[in-house]
Amino acid sequence: MSVSPETLAAYADDQLQGAERADVERAILADPDLARQVERHRALKDRLAAHYAPVMAAPLPDALLTALAQSPAPVADLAAARARRKRWLGWGAGLALAASLTLAVVLPRGGGDGALPGYADGALASALDTQLSGQAPAGAPVRVVISFADASGALCRGYAGGQGSGIACHDTRGWKVTREVGGAPSGADAGDAAYRQAGSADAALMTLAQDMAQGPALDAQAEQVARAKGWQQR
Amino acid sequence: MLALLPRLRRFATGLARDAARADDLCQMTVERALRSRQQWQPGSRMDSWMYRIMRNLWIDEARAETRRGQTFVDEDAGLAVGADGGQEARAVLSDIDRAMARLPDEQREAVLLVMVEGWSYKEAAEIVGCPVGTLNSRLVRGRDALLAMLDDGQ
Repeated sequence: MSVSPETLAAYADDQLQGAERADVERAILADPDLARQVERHRALKDRLAAHYAPVMAAPLPDALLTALAQSPAPVADLAAARARRKRWLGWGAGLALAASLTLAVVLPRGGGDGALPGYADGALASALDTQLSGQAPAGAPVRVVISFADASGALCRGYAGGQGSGIACHDTRGWKVTREVGGAPSGADAGDAAYRQAGSADAALMTLAQDMAQGPALDAQAEQVARAKGWQQR
Repeated sequence: MLALLPRLRRFATGLARDAARADDLCQMTVERALRSRQQWQPGSRMDSWMYRIMRNLWIDEARAETRRGQTFVDEDAGLAVGADGGQEARAVLSDIDRAMARLPDEQREAVLLVMVEGWSYKEAAEIVGCPVGTLNSRLVRGRDALLAMLDDGQ
């Protein structure tokens, strides 16, 4: 039988199984030239492996280790936050990812009636003060999805709701809305549209939070402590 | 991720061909992976995901450099002259480095992924984003070109 160079390479790299492998073995036994080609393939492989092996043993450069250490937050925590969010929404990662790629960040619009401009008030302020992330009561107008400390040490919380989503950071005057993502869902078909909106807003929030966060996201226990202390700067 | 770095650095060295650029590529890969870690599916293999990031960054980088100043073309032309003329001055690069540098990118990455990094054809094809048959044929062409260059040099 004739063996193509591709099949022979696959044999030399141990990529064949069963009948296909047996066929090639038979052909090699019958043809010393095929055996020689396999030999050459494997000799080259050994030579290449030996050539690049010293890189594996060399100490890693400091710059690389620094890059790794400058991870803004541990993977596990944000991944856990994300898993919680996905369970709650029942919404796939595909949309979340697509949304995070197309997110538009808009500046705060300013406060509502009687409130400090740029600061949360009403239901939003109340949710930010009291809610633990991912534990919004059913039908709550605002869901808080994540808490973290920013580079200045201020505690910030990402929230999503019918009136828009964003990130607010606590200072001496209250919850200052530092980022807003998207807006209120429009139209009458609030059901699916609202979920869609919430799903994409959450993905955008997570991306923003990750950029702003210094250190890990707060877990439920840390949130309770922070809440008890009035969300004061750490 | 730390445990993967020596392997990634080896792959980067094969792609980038000089140590400084290899380390730059490694660093870009780590930073990109950390930034886009939500895209990594827990339960899937992190190593092949990071190889894919590195490979794509390298392709982007190589294209940008080619646009900027034809660096690779000049380098390859210089190497070819050196090899033909048997100039000792170019012996800083080993035979293998020189031969690898002259392979087309798609053949070089196939050779590196399978023959150095030890990925299966299927895994290597997934990292590159091409069919297994295509990967197999690029590997064979790259291997044959390397054998021809290295045998000539002996």
